[in-house]
Amino acid sequence: MRSRKLSQFGQQLFFVGPAVLFFTLVMIIPFVMGMYYSFTDWNGVSGQVAWVGFDNFKHIFSGDPDFWKSFGFTVRFTLLGVILTNLVGFFLAYFLTKPLKTRNVMRTVFFMPNVIGGLLLGFIWQFIFIKGFSTMGEMTGWSFFELPWLGDATTGFWAIVMVFVWQYSGYLMVIYIASLSNVSKEVLEAAEIDGASHFQILRSIIAPLIMPAVTVSLFLAISWSFKMFDLNLSLTKGGPFKSTESVALNIYNEAFLNNRYGLGTAKALLFFVIVAVITLIQVRVTKSKEVEA
Amino acid sequence: MNKKRSMVILSVLLMMSMLLAACGGKNAANSGSTANGSGDKGEVKTVKIFQFKTEIVEGLNELKVEFEKEYPNIKLDIQTVGGGADYAAALKTKFASGDAPDIFSNGGFAELDMWQDKIEDLSDQPWVKDLVPLAAEPMTKDGKVYGMPMNLEGIGYVYNKDLFAKAGITETPKTITELEEAAKKLQAAGITPFGNAYQEWWLLGNQGISVAFARQDNVDEFIKGLNDGTQTIVDNPQFKNWSNLLKLTVQYGQKNPLTTDANTHLALFANGEVAMMQEGNWAQTLIDNIKPGMNIGMFPMPIDDDAEKNDKLTVGIPANLVVNKESASKEEAKIFLNWLVTSDMGKEYIVKKWKFIPALTTISASAEDIGLLGADVKKYVDENKVYGLQSSKFPDGVTQEFASVIQELIAGKSDVNGWMTNMQAAWDKLKK
Repeated sequence: MRSRKLSQFGQQLFFVGPAVLFFTLVMIIPFVMGMYYSFTDWNGVSGQVAWVGFDNFKHIFSGDPDFWKSFGFTVRFTLLGVILTNLVGFFLAYFLTKPLKTRNVMRTVFFMPNVIGGLLLGFIWQFIFIKGFSTMGEMTGWSFFELPWLGDATTGFWAIVMVFVWQYSGYLMVIYIASLSNVSKEVLEAAEIDGASHFQILRSIIAPLIMPAVTVSLFLAISWSFKMFDLNLSLTKGGPFKSTESVALNIYNEAFLNNRYGLGTAKALLFFVIVAVITLIQVRVTKSKEVEA
Repeated sequence: MNKKRSMVILSVLLMMSMLLAACGGKNAANSGSTANGSGDKGEVKTVKIFQFKTEIVEGLNELKVEFEKEYPNIKLDIQTVGGGADYAAALKTKFASGDAPDIFSNGGFAELDMWQDKIEDLSDQPWVKDLVPLAAEPMTKDGKVYGMPMNLEGIGYVYNKDLFAKAGITETPKTITELEEAAKKLQAAGITPFGNAYQEWWLLGNQGISVAFARQDNVDEFIKGLNDGTQTIVDNPQFKNWSNLLKLTVQYGQKNPLTTDANTHLALFANGEVAMMQEGNWAQTLIDNIKPGMNIGMFPMPIDDDAEKNDKLTVGIPANLVVNKESASKEEAKIFLNWLVTSDMGKEYIVKKWKFIPALTTISASAEDIGLLGADVKKYVDENKVYGLQSSKFPDGVTQEFASVIQELIAGKSDVNGWMTNMQAAWDKLKK
């Protein structure tokens, strides 16, 4: 009995060990260290680190309107980003599970933006927004292209939303495709024979049956858009006048530009708690809606 | 059973994390002494250089070959990360991970304060006595010199002499009124007067606003006053004047200044679409890359009608090379720094290849070497008609904050009074 237990332990060590090791190395340890630094006034360089208790958190809640401004931006962005990526992803998947000739090519095309890194995408789109759109505007005269893209708060916001949706809906599409092709043909046929319309089938049969995919996709989209950093950095750098600064960028700037590493980690910790709570609630809610055929 | 298993996993997890924590601690303790390899005699030592001037990488690599030929016992390992903020973050990461470089860049003043306990006092180095006084300032503290200034950089309006002649402007504007007249003439000749890259934070919050600071009666007192609350930016005449200059450039500038970056205004300028832009003499090589042989020059940024006070160019030290105090090969690092500014090879690269305005009096530079812009800057330096670039004296992060509130002013989100209040608030938020 004893040796069996030991060998079981050995097996677990063998299989889970490496993953645990690296997870600890790159996630847990930095996280714990970050927790420590959030209670200090460390500037990121100096050898002297003074314990300041809850001062950093007090500062965030009482004296940092910029953080809350960027938080507001992130929440608005997340709302739109999550809804749009999921809608676009779902409908792409819905149409690309129909028997189309170009189906596989289209799937690849829509998934493609995911393969390119966010930073690179941002720089490409920055060029498109500034150079491409203004040229298009001159050619067509459409006011849409003649807006000062990235030049004011509104266009900056929508530009990031557009690129984000374009980048991530392809990924969600793949998840939805997998889920949609698992919906049993018999159920769909039965519904059709009973005289259900396309919309009814979509709403009452397909939607509940792909709920597990919705849970995953919502979760992914929420955490992506909350943590969005690379697109933000490369498209607008938070500008003009900080109107498009996401929380992640605000934290980065606080830690590395303002050299207030302690305050930055405090913000990061707070942000972690908020995102964790929101995603937990979301997973709970959508899980409860999952059904089995 | 289920419970037992989770206990096992948990214990594995705990054990591993303890193990790793121990490893981490050990690494951190050793990093200072082992980062640069063992220090046995006769062995080849490596000097790691970490800097941010992307435009000199090529020349630096060529110099490396020459240097290693002369000093076979020293190897150079040069790494470059461009862009101000990225460099600072990368440097911190290097120090935190125990991979600290032996030579790195520092901006001086406030940045010197921040890094002071990591960098070596270089006062005893032979080149220190030859420094141009202005260049030594940022890295001097309590009479000690902590770094070697790489070069001098002048900042002002770079202008296209041919376009000025075409519009009938014979002399460079010395006052804001003259500048506006020049702009009107240019516009009448069908030329856009200004190219404004106001998307760039450094152009506004670092180099642009420096003039408003430099024009204070005593800038160091003023900055001290801002920090202890006895001075304020609100209603300060120099800042008001500066905002007039900003408005002037926007009014006579190309459209969408807030989405124009430095590359774009350089391209506009090099293609002759705009006649002026706020830049530094480093723009010489960049313009040469687009269109060689342009007839260009540089003049200071005037903020009011006092011709004498306006005729001073903003001159700064973009970077200073410093030596890591805890480095195992700091003597070798010093040898390299000395070689860089005393050997013929190093001198030649500094002036001819990089077109630097030398920060040492022992290095001579002619107009052909450093280009038209460099020559203009050097003329101002030689005549001592210069203002120091003030931004390295600001608290960390203020330059970026300044840039965003200036952008608000450009976008019309605030008026001049609101802007000055915001500037003050930005300072108060970040002062130590």
